[in-house]
Amino acid sequence: MLDTATILAGLGDAFQPVTLLYVLAGVIMGQFVGAVPGIGPVMATAIAIPFTFGMDPLAGIGFLVGINKGGLVGGAIPAVLINTPGTPDAAATALDGYPMAQQGKPLKATKMALYSSVTGDTFSDIVLITVSAPLAILALRMGPVEVLGLMLLAFAVIASLMGASIARGLAAAALGLLAAMVGTDPEHATPRLIFGNFEVYDGLPLAAVAIGMLAISELLARLARTRSAQAATIDIPRDQLPEDRRVSFAEYWACRFTVLRGAVIGTLIGALPGIGSTAAAFMSYASAKQVSPDRASFGRGNIHGIAAAESANSAVMGANMIPMLTLGIPGSVSAALIVSAFMIHGVQPGPFLFEQQGRLIYGLFGAMILANIMNLLVGQVGMRLWVRVITAPESFVLTSALLLCFVGVSLAAGGLFGIGVMLAFAVLGFVMTAFGFSVVVFIIAFFLGPRFEISLSQTLALLNGDPLCLLDYPFGLAMILAAPVLAVWLARRRA
Amino acid sequence: MQTDRITGAALICLGGLLIWWIIPWQAEEVGYGWLRPRTLPYIIAVSLAICGAWMMLRPVAEALPHANWPRAALYAGILIAGLALMSRFGFLWVGPPMALVLMLIAGERRPLWLTAGAVGTPAAIWVCVAVLLERPLP
Repeated sequence: MLDTATILAGLGDAFQPVTLLYVLAGVIMGQFVGAVPGIGPVMATAIAIPFTFGMDPLAGIGFLVGINKGGLVGGAIPAVLINTPGTPDAAATALDGYPMAQQGKPLKATKMALYSSVTGDTFSDIVLITVSAPLAILALRMGPVEVLGLMLLAFAVIASLMGASIARGLAAAALGLLAAMVGTDPEHATPRLIFGNFEVYDGLPLAAVAIGMLAISELLARLARTRSAQAATIDIPRDQLPEDRRVSFAEYWACRFTVLRGAVIGTLIGALPGIGSTAAAFMSYASAKQVSPDRASFGRGNIHGIAAAESANSAVMGANMIPMLTLGIPGSVSAALIVSAFMIHGVQPGPFLFEQQGRLIYGLFGAMILANIMNLLVGQVGMRLWVRVITAPESFVLTSALLLCFVGVSLAAGGLFGIGVMLAFAVLGFVMTAFGFSVVVFIIAFFLGPRFEISLSQTLALLNGDPLCLLDYPFGLAMILAAPVLAVWLARRRA
Repeated sequence: MQTDRITGAALICLGGLLIWWIIPWQAEEVGYGWLRPRTLPYIIAVSLAICGAWMMLRPVAEALPHANWPRAALYAGILIAGLALMSRFGFLWVGPPMALVLMLIAGERRPLWLTAGAVGTPAAIWVCVAVLLERPLP
């Protein structure tokens, strides 16, 4: 599909000094925000997207990938040190990380988290690089019916697995699709649901909706909970024994099967849209405990517990990009945000991506591997520094993030109107979250909405009023029929 | 139980509102084509109403959510007021006092952190956006 010269040129682009610098900056920022409970890499990515406007596409996307990967490492730091996961997927890390820190080995716990995270992430990146091109070739053979079936299947899985119940999941997806209807109807080019606002002729600005739903609503919730400006104080004892401060190669090697199992679980879960890294971390933790000869030590500072959780939650990141790069369907909200960055830079994700932007994609793969190496290096020197970050008061961190959101959306979504849209969706996101509706399902449905409508329109045109024509598209028909069956099955399993 | 019934009723109302008022008002009637401008919005509205009915008939959630509504509304109000003032005076004049008010309500009283939030952060944003990126602030 792609010639070797394009692949090598793409990988070479990743090593350009500017790209390297932006990836490094992303990793540093990611570890920093990951260490601050309540901000996290998703919110940081949402805020950072508008600031990548002026960058070269690879540098901008590499910067966002760096934030995501750095955030996965940074999230483990508060989980280990103050039993407060910086990101939801680090919750499983706290189960053994915090007891280990209380035993006087906080640096050992955070370093094991770092090594396992980088190993799991690299494993899933290698899987991504290996399987995405062949999958994209397969995806190129899909017509509108198959694309429609695939999207229905993705909606069914995501809506069934996220939110408090399947009815809430489906309602969140419907609300996301409804928001995507705002703008010009793709078949007849008539304005729809615009309420006299000509700024939304091209649809609601994705950056404003994403930042409002994901960042501002969460900031509002956290500010509403903040009663005291004092942050937790952390004391890392200086008189630790050297073996309690580091992870020896023998200790890492002893965890190799745990790390590998976690990486495989994380990769498999990450490749499926909607399940997410938190589930992967807990599944890997449970399986590590299941096969361990010393089950009783889990939850009391077992280093295998940290290795299992961190390798799995980090492996989700690379695998999440598989459906995104090959089919244009984001597997998670981080992937949806990176897709929106692609689109901002004029790159349309999906199976044609490898054919039309092969050099950029292999540049991205190179940047992902480099980000893993940088994660390791920055983590080695930055751990003590990030510990100080946790002590910054929430009032300062959250207010600064709010100001950044205002400015970021103003840059990305056309000034004050964009900020207004952001605030409206922030209120919606806050209410939806409070009532158990998943904002992630909303965002993914909003993102896929226009493509869904076009696929549906093309499918109906192909069928020309005769549903029996669907029999000519057996794969598409199978996926369309499988969507409700899978939704009901997943809902029953959840119940 | 109560949460699902209230939320379900709200979704049914939203579905009805869309079907009988918003979609006929805000989407043009077109007499040709398989997928007309109103078709998908109608499908979505019906889906919302069905989800609402499902939640009312088979409720699962126990109680009303414990979100801190008054404080969240206060912060949202400050942000909306900030936006309104920004449209008149601009970010440089409104950003610092807005940050100060938000931090004070959040309980911060230490002068160093208040200065960092109300002066340091807006100044850093101004340097990054207006000076380095050469983009206009809101």
